[in-house]
Amino acid sequence: MTTYILRRLAQAIPQLFIISIILFTLMQGFGDPVATLGARTPPKAEDKERLRRMLGLDQPAYVQYLTWLVGNDWQKIDMDGDGIPETNGRRKGILRGDWSNSLVTRRPVLEMIGDRLPNTLILMGAAEIVIIIFSLALGLYSALRPYSLFDNLVTGLSFIGYSMPVFWLALMLMYIFAVNFRAWGLPYLPTVGMFDPEAGKTPAELIRHMILPVATLSIISIAGYSRFVRSSMLEVLSQDYVRTARAKGVRTVYVVLRHALPNAALPFITLIGLDIPFLLAGAIVTERIFAWPGMGRLFLDHTSRADFPVLMGILMLVSIAVVIFQIITDVVYSLVDPRIRLE
Amino acid sequence: MKRNLYLLLSLGVLASMILSACGGAAPATEPPDISGDATEPAVTEPAAPAFSGTATITFTQEPDNLNYLYTEMWFSQITRDFWNKGLWSYDEDNKPVPEIAAEIPSVENGGLSEDGKTITIKLRDDVAWSDGEPVTAEDFAFSFEMVMSDANVVLTRYPFDEYVESVTAEDATTLIVQLKEPFAPWLTTIFDDWVLPKHILQPVFEAEGTIDNAEWNKAPTVGVGPFVFSEWESGSHIIFKANPNWIRPPKLEQVFIRIVPDDAAQEAAIIAGDTDIGVFLSSDQIEKLEAGGDVDVVAVSSGYSEGWFPNVNPDTAHPAMLDVRVRKALALATDRFTIVKDLLVQEVNPVNVTFWDGAEPYNNPALEPYPYDPEEAKRLLDEAGWVDSNGDGTRDKDGVELVLRYITNDRELRKNVQAVVQQQWSLVGIGAELQNYSSDVFWNGYNDGGPQSQGLYDIAQYSSVGFFPDPEISYNWLCDAISSADNPDGGNWQGVCIEELDALLKEQAETLDINKRIDLYHQISQILYDEVLYIGIWLDPDLWSINDHLQNVKLSGAAPFWNAHEWEVAK
Repeated sequence: MTTYILRRLAQAIPQLFIISIILFTLMQGFGDPVATLGARTPPKAEDKERLRRMLGLDQPAYVQYLTWLVGNDWQKIDMDGDGIPETNGRRKGILRGDWSNSLVTRRPVLEMIGDRLPNTLILMGAAEIVIIIFSLALGLYSALRPYSLFDNLVTGLSFIGYSMPVFWLALMLMYIFAVNFRAWGLPYLPTVGMFDPEAGKTPAELIRHMILPVATLSIISIAGYSRFVRSSMLEVLSQDYVRTARAKGVRTVYVVLRHALPNAALPFITLIGLDIPFLLAGAIVTERIFAWPGMGRLFLDHTSRADFPVLMGILMLVSIAVVIFQIITDVVYSLVDPRIRLE
Repeated sequence: MKRNLYLLLSLGVLASMILSACGGAAPATEPPDISGDATEPAVTEPAAPAFSGTATITFTQEPDNLNYLYTEMWFSQITRDFWNKGLWSYDEDNKPVPEIAAEIPSVENGGLSEDGKTITIKLRDDVAWSDGEPVTAEDFAFSFEMVMSDANVVLTRYPFDEYVESVTAEDATTLIVQLKEPFAPWLTTIFDDWVLPKHILQPVFEAEGTIDNAEWNKAPTVGVGPFVFSEWESGSHIIFKANPNWIRPPKLEQVFIRIVPDDAAQEAAIIAGDTDIGVFLSSDQIEKLEAGGDVDVVAVSSGYSEGWFPNVNPDTAHPAMLDVRVRKALALATDRFTIVKDLLVQEVNPVNVTFWDGAEPYNNPALEPYPYDPEEAKRLLDEAGWVDSNGDGTRDKDGVELVLRYITNDRELRKNVQAVVQQQWSLVGIGAELQNYSSDVFWNGYNDGGPQSQGLYDIAQYSSVGFFPDPEISYNWLCDAISSADNPDGGNWQGVCIEELDALLKEQAETLDINKRIDLYHQISQILYDEVLYIGIWLDPDLWSINDHLQNVKLSGAAPFWNAHEWEVAK
């Protein structure tokens, strides 16, 4: 087992290396980071030229990639523009733990990700819990009473939920529960952000502000996942061993929870397992609308400014998470299924 | 059994993820740091100042950096009214108001030398940084040094690199700015809204060799203004707390800037009363926002107006563009009044005449917008020899069809205007080839293949401004600034070169007397109008919402939050 894990980790290194080259190549198509620095007033041509030189953006793409990878602190660079390198490079490269600095904020990328990751995890984590609980409950209940009024109702609502665009759902929830409820004098929820400035950053405030974004993220996923649970449960319930258990007089609750559910849940768990690495990436639309300071918005904001060190940082983080969770999933499989041998 | 194990393990992994999520988020749920002991000024113990209330402002974009040297973002610039005052500010009429300077330098008070090349600025002797250190002329000299240092990757050195010879501290309260040549826009470009704290940043510069990565750039806990930086949570908010050390202490306890990137969400927050001030609103939102009765939408000009810049460069423009009658016909054939009425709000965005209509007093009130007169347009085109000789519906001359390249960026509103104009032009026999570029490409310089700088157009549409409230924009129309392969940095993308205009532009750039300069601008506007070298489409003021919860807000186009010290919340 240890050998297997070590081998997989060793394989992951060239894998991540190739991913980084592909991502860096794609970054070249994102536009000119220097062109967007002037915001409302376009930067002057001589300033653009000077900035490109100072930030190393005038170098060929492969040199920029190597600097990103291994740094440039062992060579001199030309800061004053006389064509002669005179200043020591300051970058160490990602291989030595320097994830580079943002071209826009000038802050270390790792620090910027560190600011946002907790916010994203708390939002996405909460949404994932809600999704799991409601999908299982609705899917299970529907499967036990297929084609009943409840099942038909849930099926109908699922289709509506699944076909709703996220931005529309988010704005509707905001208008109903935050704007109109307040106007009607009912208890209301806040529109945007993580807390009210007057109330301060308390857990209660956080929960109040999480309700609408979590609902937005959950409703659409629950609609899809509950259908998934329902169909896989229906399939299992028609299996011979379930009939046998029932024939032996085992109580229904026991049949469902002890025999049917664990089997029906296996593919669902795989599905959820695939979601986990992407929890890190955040939810671009929901975070944007509810002004939730997460990873999705970090990515979006810095995409619009072609800030490739930040984009590379986020994408590499997600890539690493995907690779690691693949290994974990494989190991878990081998532990539970005797047919799989990790040799 | 095995299945249970599988289930348990999977759930364990999931639970650990979720738990780590909750654990990681702990800082966000900590109780608020109201004491502010790390950021509150440490010097004098204020005698229990009566600060109360919070002003909440929504920003649709997050500032990238708070240090003047590393940002040109408007959203960063406007925060400096709270925490990083410069020599002077601008009131709601865009008139300069002294801040750190004791008075505005002029020839009369001896602040400006007769030759216009030496500016002597007297500083107040009672201004201190929020940590109690006095603000002196040394801070300004240090700021100049930092702008010009090759060790700092600053965004722009303009105008210091081109116009400033030296910045020196004669004594603690006397600052001398020596110019290379008289530079009329000095008032709006040299230390008007920033200064760096030497006592904080010089040690960083000495230790690290640069201030590019100084902690102060992100957390400027030492500032000079009615408020002082308290906290910035990336993507979420920035808080400024009352600074009792400022010469005009504020009334509010704090200013809370919330980053809300989505326009529709900002609108909801304004209607719900979750924000006191909203920015960058569009005219179609006015009615909805004001419906509740507690929100006012105000239009504040920051000098911008939307207009057409015709290409008249003989090397790159369509031959018809070189004829002033054709340019005039373009203006007359376009019903800009209906465009403004249908696509914008007429009261907010009237059709402008000159480039400076939003920058009073430099506008020329004697001029009227070109009327909508398609018949006169046809007559002018006929007169210029552009007639439809081949019956294809488009005018032509000497075998050249009158089809013009009409370019702008990819903003939706501009695309809509293009479509309407194309239809209106077709009624008088002018064809239009519509092109849209992403903003970064649209503004690119000659060497980067910018469509404007390379002259790949006949009409370019965009919104622009000078050094508002200063009108300076001569680099757009000077003969020696025409962009070409030999002069790739030239800012005159239209290829305009008129001797008289050139002389006037150069004269105004060195004229420090405001009345004389206004007169020069009236003459400049007249030439641009007669030669049809600028066609105004609409005035483009910024729209702000103000909730009546917050009072005494007097927004200025040049320094929006200049009177933040007077703001207070409704009792």
